[in-house]
Amino acid sequence: MATTLTERYINATTDSLPPDTQGDVRAELEASIADAVESRLDQGEDPATAERTVLTDLGDPVALAASYTDRPLHLLGPRYYLAWWRLLKLLLAIVPAVAVGGVALVQVIVGASIGEVIGQAISVGITATLHLVFWVTLIFVLIERSGADTGPDWNLDQLPEPRPTRSGRADVIASAVFAGLMIAAMLWDRFRGFVRIDGHDVDVQILHPQLWPWAILGLVGLLLVEVGLAAVAHARRGWTVGLAVANTALALVWVSAILTLLGNGLLVNPELMSLVFSGEGGAPETTRVVGILFVLSVIGASAWDIIDGWLKARRGAKHRRADADAAP
Amino acid sequence: MVSGMSEFSDTHLQELRRGTVVLACLRLLRTPGYGYSLLVHLEEHGFATDANTLYPLLRRLEKQGFLTSEWNTEDSRPRKFYVTSAEGNRLADTLSADWLDLTRSIASLTDDPGTPEEN
Repeated sequence: MATTLTERYINATTDSLPPDTQGDVRAELEASIADAVESRLDQGEDPATAERTVLTDLGDPVALAASYTDRPLHLLGPRYYLAWWRLLKLLLAIVPAVAVGGVALVQVIVGASIGEVIGQAISVGITATLHLVFWVTLIFVLIERSGADTGPDWNLDQLPEPRPTRSGRADVIASAVFAGLMIAAMLWDRFRGFVRIDGHDVDVQILHPQLWPWAILGLVGLLLVEVGLAAVAHARRGWTVGLAVANTALALVWVSAILTLLGNGLLVNPELMSLVFSGEGGAPETTRVVGILFVLSVIGASAWDIIDGWLKARRGAKHRRADADAAP
Repeated sequence: MVSGMSEFSDTHLQELRRGTVVLACLRLLRTPGYGYSLLVHLEEHGFATDANTLYPLLRRLEKQGFLTSEWNTEDSRPRKFYVTSAEGNRLADTLSADWLDLTRSIASLTDDPGTPEEN
């Protein structure tokens, strides 16, 4: 009797079953397979073909075993998929960015070269993302297998609020107020001075004196262009790709202007620097770290401004499409 | 004319038939039967089922108390015989009643020409 295939099939099926059911399933499967083969032999099939056909019809032994034990044949079922996806999206929006920012900051402070900083940041970003996806998924797979609850069910309060898609008047006002405050601050800094150091009669300026008047005028110009962008977006009833491009260019001009000035020691009043950091033990080191934090904040803020412009442009396009559909 | 429809209609048919196998098993096993014999009987009665669906289903129904089983070692080879328990019979009655309700409901849909303008 050619029993080897059947034996192998039954072994493959029962191997992953709980020990207490293995013997019973094995005996029952042996009988069922033998019955099926016998019925085929009665119809004149040759033994080898009959056995092969019966076993093939039973299908993948692992699937059969899973069916015996009610084990799921998927990684993550519909009951947990949405909870997994929501949590993953939330964490992916936060964790890799924080990890990359933190590593970049530390690398810069310990004096790594630009190449090292970028390389480290990218590799940490990829590693953090991979770990995040892997561990979150693994936890959900384990939760599904243990049958635990995923917390409160969905309810109506979780419906997303409709986002204001138009670039509203509020945007224009906010950016005008910001520009006004910045200009007022620069003028106040120039003519009255912001910082009063102990033991000095006169208030000290924060910005470098040589910036006055042309560089300051340039900065004022850039601020006004920002207000202009918001106004155009408002007039066109939403951001467009063109505006997002202009916004990107503007943000890059800002970053390069500020970094160039800072790099050449032309941004901050040297008198202030010497006053603030004089007499402190690690003065040069402190200055350097403060400078790095400042540069990274400027880069971060500009990057966010650029991304925000593109997100608004996308939403604006969607909204204009909806408008067009509604009023053909 | 509607090529490609059969692929979808097959799925719908399968979904409609899912669950009827349980009722058929409970009814057929009022007289004791073993795996392969039940497979043949199901097919004869128009409930063609795959072996790899039926065998685990029988163990599940036994675990849930709707079937009881006993090994019979008198035949040529030892076979596990299943028989519908009292609880299994009650379940079969419930399922049958529900099936009849459904039949009436479906008949009412078929007979009614439809009143879309109602209300």
